[in-house]
Amino acid sequence: MSRRLLSQLLAATLACACTLPAAAQVPGADQVQAVTLTNGMQIIVWPDHDIPNVALFNWVHVGSRNEVPGITGLAHFFEHMMFNGTTTRPQGEFDRVLEANGARNNAFTTNDVTVYQDWLPRAALATVFEVEADRLRNLAFEPKVIESERGVVYSERRLRVEDSLVGRLQEQVQATAYLAHPYGIPTIGWPSDIQSWRIEDLKSFFATNYAPNNCTLVLVGDVEPKSAIALAKQYFESIPSHAPPDAIRTKEPEQEGERRVNIEAEAQSPLLQFAYHALSGADPRQPALELLTRILTDGDASRLHRVLVEEQKLAISADSYIDRGFDPGLAWFLLTLPAGGDAQKAEAVFDREIERVRDSGVTAQELARARSQALADFWRGLATIDGKAQALGSYAVLQGGYQRLFDAPRAYESVTADDIRKLAAELLRPSNRTVGVLTAKAAASQGEGQ
Amino acid sequence: MKSFVSALLFIFSTSVLAAGNGVKVPPFERVQLSNGAVVLLMERHDVPLIAFSAVLRGGAVSDPADESGLASLLVGLLQKGSGSRDAVAFAETVASVGGQIETAASTESIAISGSFLARDQQLMVELLADMLQRPRLELGQFDTLRARQIEFIRAAKESDLAALTPIYGEASLFGGHPYGRTVDGSEASLAEIKHADLQRYYQEQVGADRLILAVAGDFKTAQMKQRISRAFSGWRKAGAPLAQVPKAQAVTGRRVLLIDAPESVQSYFWAGNVAVAKNDPRRAALDVTNTLFGGRFTSMLNSELRIRTGLSYSASSHFDRLLQPGHWALSSFTQTEKTIEALDLALATLDKLHQSGLDATMLESGKSYVQGQYPLALETAGQWASQLATLEFYGLDRSYIDNYSAALAGVGGADAKRVIDEVFPSSSALAIVVVGNAGALRDGLRKYGPVTEMKLADPSFSPVRRQ
Repeated sequence: MSRRLLSQLLAATLACACTLPAAAQVPGADQVQAVTLTNGMQIIVWPDHDIPNVALFNWVHVGSRNEVPGITGLAHFFEHMMFNGTTTRPQGEFDRVLEANGARNNAFTTNDVTVYQDWLPRAALATVFEVEADRLRNLAFEPKVIESERGVVYSERRLRVEDSLVGRLQEQVQATAYLAHPYGIPTIGWPSDIQSWRIEDLKSFFATNYAPNNCTLVLVGDVEPKSAIALAKQYFESIPSHAPPDAIRTKEPEQEGERRVNIEAEAQSPLLQFAYHALSGADPRQPALELLTRILTDGDASRLHRVLVEEQKLAISADSYIDRGFDPGLAWFLLTLPAGGDAQKAEAVFDREIERVRDSGVTAQELARARSQALADFWRGLATIDGKAQALGSYAVLQGGYQRLFDAPRAYESVTADDIRKLAAELLRPSNRTVGVLTAKAAASQGEGQ
Repeated sequence: MKSFVSALLFIFSTSVLAAGNGVKVPPFERVQLSNGAVVLLMERHDVPLIAFSAVLRGGAVSDPADESGLASLLVGLLQKGSGSRDAVAFAETVASVGGQIETAASTESIAISGSFLARDQQLMVELLADMLQRPRLELGQFDTLRARQIEFIRAAKESDLAALTPIYGEASLFGGHPYGRTVDGSEASLAEIKHADLQRYYQEQVGADRLILAVAGDFKTAQMKQRISRAFSGWRKAGAPLAQVPKAQAVTGRRVLLIDAPESVQSYFWAGNVAVAKNDPRRAALDVTNTLFGGRFTSMLNSELRIRTGLSYSASSHFDRLLQPGHWALSSFTQTEKTIEALDLALATLDKLHQSGLDATMLESGKSYVQGQYPLALETAGQWASQLATLEFYGLDRSYIDNYSAALAGVGGADAKRVIDEVFPSSSALAIVVVGNAGALRDGLRKYGPVTEMKLADPSFSPVRRQ
């Protein structure tokens, strides 16, 4: 979930997407500086002086993965509460100060992290540091504000889940895909938990997870590392570290058979979702998995799009999405069918294509094409300070260290067709997946049961 | 996610800033070919990439009244086979070099944009020339695309009501005026469109004299000029004159269109009126005022509907500025039972803007905000190409960008008051649209004015069959 701005047509930052190797050097990569403050907070700075602005992202290592029944949705609720006042600043003051200084902010929460994003003119840097440190140190828990924000979060849930058939099905599939690991918890939270969090739950969650040693602060843009690090020390270093939150010890057991969710709804357009247990963000096979999913769904020439959408017209869209978190996540395939479409037939054709890639792998031409697409998108992603802060933080926190970002072009180059075939054979098995089917009430009566 | 469709009013802007003191347009060259096509070239050598934006005048306002979506279908079909390549070969060619091509229709134009590596510039020009001059427009592809576009609308009705609400809003506000035509069509209007209509539309509405082609990135101007001239000089002009759009009438009273979505647990509302054109000289004051009213997180509207009351996840307002005055609208959503409370509050907030205006502190904050965010919309070659095409399209010169910072700095209380009085509608003059459970909403909405009803399942975006 990120901002919906215009499609930013991208300019790559580099002399390189040029297919081959010659190991694309990311310009400015050698200027990145990283330090860890004495309280354990990590700071990473990447100067880029194209525009007089800075992207400052605070990656807090807490997401719905850190929740348990009763407090589901709390990580996301904090994303909201962090804008709602501290013991030194009343509700609304954080945004008022930032906006009056020309800065905009937002945040998002995933299974794994909560990321607080500020986009500011460079002149506002010290002010932004000050208010960011204030909310990490002095967050307020005002009962009236909490109640009001509960309503806001519920409105967000209605928007994304209850009024969206895609969202409803996805929530059920995700919950079904995990028997043990907390990745089954929906990030927005279960309704009864949203309605019943208590102030003690909030205080304890904050004390456990919002410690400087659980944060990675990323700055990209018109700053010098030295002065940014000095500001970080000035404002953040005196915040005491806490005992780190408990490690998530649960490992999802091997799935022993396909699981299915069938939803019947007042719907015209059937939906099909397939979620396969896949890899952690730091798994070295991530680039191979990305190329595999691109071959299946990226663009009009991709296999699933071509067969399901263009040739057989069984679907109107075929997309994929890969989780890249601390623990092994899901590789998703999402099909939207035309009104009254035949879900069984679409599933059979999807299965045939998956079987084909599992058995026979991909062609050299497909691999080359997916690589070109991945490389070009990589460079397009680094065309803005926002894209850089996103990529740098994601690699630093979830994908094995920020240096790996700069190895990404080489990593794509080194994936072989055999790597992809093996990965497909390992992951894309029926017994490793959960299938979600949403169909119209009337039409579904002859389908299988729950 | 915390929020928020940030209403960036200045989508098309650019930077290269002179020492923090405002954005200036870097040098570019404008060439007009003898067939009327305008070519804009801006070299930027920081990255080995080239972005282009090809904009053709026309768009939805050129659609026949009962065939809205025709321009949109046409521009979509341009990617489905042209020149020597069928649809599959075209897609494979673009993907194999990591290129990107996107097509889109809007109210007054259709556009093809994209980016390629600098080394593929010859291929980029060739593909673009093929799409525009030698599209296959095959019947099979037409049928497929049209059917899919209809299905996308049906799917959105089940998963994305927030995105559909403004479509009902614009259709309701502008009615039979060309700005009321739904850009991507409705289930009903798309069903009316025949393959022959599309071929005729291509002959009549697409041609060199309609084209603005802006290219920004890592190339040599002389060489790119030559490539483009060679590829486009022989192209014919459009066969018919460009549709002239009259000024739309503003709504004087208040009326409500209620779209019954019986399964929905939330209501989505939109309230707007006719406002200003793109070339309105009060731009800076309008931007600052709208930012403060509904264009950022602490805006008056979001403060009331989200921060203070928790009624909604988001509330915002925006302008759509076109060749003629487009609309200004506010929008939000809330749970069904709170709809009237939220709508009352939104309208009361608009009243407050008119009654109390903006104090000096707010005004300064708004100016800083717009000023501080301006460069972020202007970082990439793609944004530059889009910006150059926009300036040309609206007949604006570089001062639109070069002087914007100074104009923002100069906005005073009197300027804000003037635009509030003259441009922001009164709460008693609005076209209101509500998508939600009609059974629960119908009675409560009557106090706002005459209520017209339709169903979400209706195949059109307005209660009258023909749009």
